[in-house]
Amino acid sequence: MPERQDKAEPASRFPVGGGEMGVLIRGFDWSATSLGPISTWPPCLRTATDIVLQSPLPLVMLWGPDGVMIYNDAYSGFAGQRHPRLLGSKVLEGWAEVADFNAQVMEVGLAGGTLSFKDQELTLYRNNRAEQVWMDLNYGPVLDENGDPAGVLAIVVETTGRIEAERRRATAEQQVRDSEARLRALVNATNDVVYRMSGDWVEMKPLDGRGFLTSQDSPSVAWMDQNVFAEDQAAIWAVIRQAIETRSTFQLEHRVRRADGSPGWTSSRAIPIEDGNGEIAEWFGAASDVTARRQAEDHLRLVVNELNHRVKNNLAMIQAIGAQTFRAASDVADAEANFSERISALAKANDLLTHEHWTDVALREIVAGAVRPYSGDGDIRCSLGGPEVRLSAKTAMSMAMACHELVTNAVKYGAWSNAEGWVNIVWSIDDTPGGRRLRFEWREQGGPPVAAPSRRGFGSRLIERGLSAELEGEVRLTFEPTGVVCAIDAPIRPAAGE
Amino acid sequence: MVRALKTLVVEDEMAIALLIEDMLLDMGHSVVGLAMRLQPALQLARTADIDFAILDINLDGQMSFPVADALTARGVPFAFASGYGPAGLEPDYKQHPVIKKPFGAKDLARVIERAGPDAG
Repeated sequence: MPERQDKAEPASRFPVGGGEMGVLIRGFDWSATSLGPISTWPPCLRTATDIVLQSPLPLVMLWGPDGVMIYNDAYSGFAGQRHPRLLGSKVLEGWAEVADFNAQVMEVGLAGGTLSFKDQELTLYRNNRAEQVWMDLNYGPVLDENGDPAGVLAIVVETTGRIEAERRRATAEQQVRDSEARLRALVNATNDVVYRMSGDWVEMKPLDGRGFLTSQDSPSVAWMDQNVFAEDQAAIWAVIRQAIETRSTFQLEHRVRRADGSPGWTSSRAIPIEDGNGEIAEWFGAASDVTARRQAEDHLRLVVNELNHRVKNNLAMIQAIGAQTFRAASDVADAEANFSERISALAKANDLLTHEHWTDVALREIVAGAVRPYSGDGDIRCSLGGPEVRLSAKTAMSMAMACHELVTNAVKYGAWSNAEGWVNIVWSIDDTPGGRRLRFEWREQGGPPVAAPSRRGFGSRLIERGLSAELEGEVRLTFEPTGVVCAIDAPIRPAAGE
Repeated sequence: MVRALKTLVVEDEMAIALLIEDMLLDMGHSVVGLAMRLQPALQLARTADIDFAILDINLDGQMSFPVADALTARGVPFAFASGYGPAGLEPDYKQHPVIKKPFGAKDLARVIERAGPDAG
C-alpha cells in the first residue's frame, strides 16, 4: 500500500476517549508501522485498542508478528521515560534489555497460548538506569476475524513496591529474631535470674528461677509474697516506688526467699522500657544470687568481732598471769623468766588452737606440745599414752597452762632436774554410773627426793583450783617422796559447740 | 573499811578467775564459789551462801543471764564482767553495773561499791 504514504491522513476520530494515550494514538503516524494507517485497521484491532484504552489496569497490546505496542495511560506510568517513544515501536526494540523474554511471549501468544508470571523479576532501564523490578505478567492472544491470533494482550501489574516491602519486613523480622537469639544467649550466659514486671510492678511475667528463685509458669501478682519475706517487703516497695516516680533504674541488694524456702540475698537491677507514647510499658531486670558473698561478709563480721573479743581476753589473761607471777615473787629476775615462759606457753597453745580452727583439740596434742621443749637433751624422758580424748578450745587452753606449770616444776625441781628422772603420763576413759570420766595421771620418778613446798605458788593454785573448776572435776597435786603426782578425775563433756 | 563479803566468781578463763579471786581475797573478802561454766555457776547461784557475785557474760559460748536471773531472784547483788563492756549486755540487764575487762583491783572495788551489797 505505498500510495497511502503519499497523502497525509486526516485526524482520526478513532479511538474515542482513552485519556492521554487516546490523544497520542489518534495523532500517531501509524502508516510508518506494520499496522498501516489507522483508518485501515481491521475491526478486531480497533476493538482491542478500545479495550486497552478503557481499562484502568495497565494494558499493552503487541500487534502483529513484530509486536507493535499500543498501551493505555496506566501502562505509560509504568513505562517511565520510555513513554511516549514506546508507542508504535516493536516490542523487541522498545524493551531491548528483555528482548529474549518478549520473543518467547510473542511466540507463545501468536501460537494461541497464554502465559502468566507471578512476581517476575526483571531488570529494566526505563529511567536511564538499571532497576530491579517485579511484575505480575499475564499474556493472552487477540484473535482476528478469522479466529487466528493477530496480537498479544498483556496485563502488566508492577509488584516491586509490595516485594520490596515484603523483603524489608523479612529483613526486619530476621533482625528481631537475631536480636532475640542474642538476648537469649545473654540470659543463658549469665547466672542471673531475668525478670519482667508490668509498668506498675503489680504483675510479674513468667519467671525462670534457675534454681535460685521459685519459677513461675504464668504471670503472677503474688510475686512479692512468693519471693520476699513479709518484714522486708515495705523497704523494697519504697525503692520500687522511687524508681517508678523518677522513671530511673531500680537497683537494690535485698533478702529473698529462695526456691528451697531458705533466705538468700540478691543484687537486683531493672530498667524501665517505654512504649511509643512515653509510658513505662514494663520493667526488665536481672537478679543475681549474692547469697554466698553476703554469708562471707556476715562471717567476716563475726570473725572480726570474735577476734576483738579474743584480743581483749588475751590481754586480760596476760594481765592475770603477770599480776600473779609478780605478786608472790621474791626474785624479780626469776619472776621475769617465769612470766616470759608462761606467755610463751600461752602463745603456743594459741597456735595449736588456731591450727585446729578453735574447735576442739586432742588431749595428746596439748600434753605433747607442753613437754616437747623440756623433755631432755634430744632424748625424750617421758612416756605418753591414752585413748583419743578431745577438749574444747577453752578447756584445752587451761590444760596447756596447767601442763606448762607441771613441766616447769619438773625442770626446776623434779624428774627433769637431774640426768635420770622420768615422767609417765597416762590417761584413760572410764565408764561410771555418773557417765564417762577422764582419769589422767602425771607421775614423776627418778628425780631428786621431793619435799612438799612450804607455800603453794601460782602454779599449784592454777592446777588444783583453776583446772578443777575448768574441768568440773577433781585435780589433786601431791608431792610424794618419789616425785610429783598430778591426778585428774573429771567428767568428759562434749566439746563446746557440738 | 569494807565489810568482808562472801563472794561467787563466775569466769570461764582460768587465769582471770584466779586473778579475781586474788583481788577479792586481798580486799578481805572470801570466795565461796568459783565456777567457769554455766551449769556449776547456776548451781552455786541458787544454793551458795553469798553476798555478792561477779559474772562473766560469756561462759565458753553460753550467756550467763540465767545466773543473773537466779541471783536477782535471791536478791543477791552482782556485777557483770565483759570484754565487750556494756555493749555486750542484753537490754533487760542494762541496769546492772558492768566492769570492762581487763580491770584492776581498784575497778573491782568500785563496782562492788556500786552494786551495793547490803552491809547487814
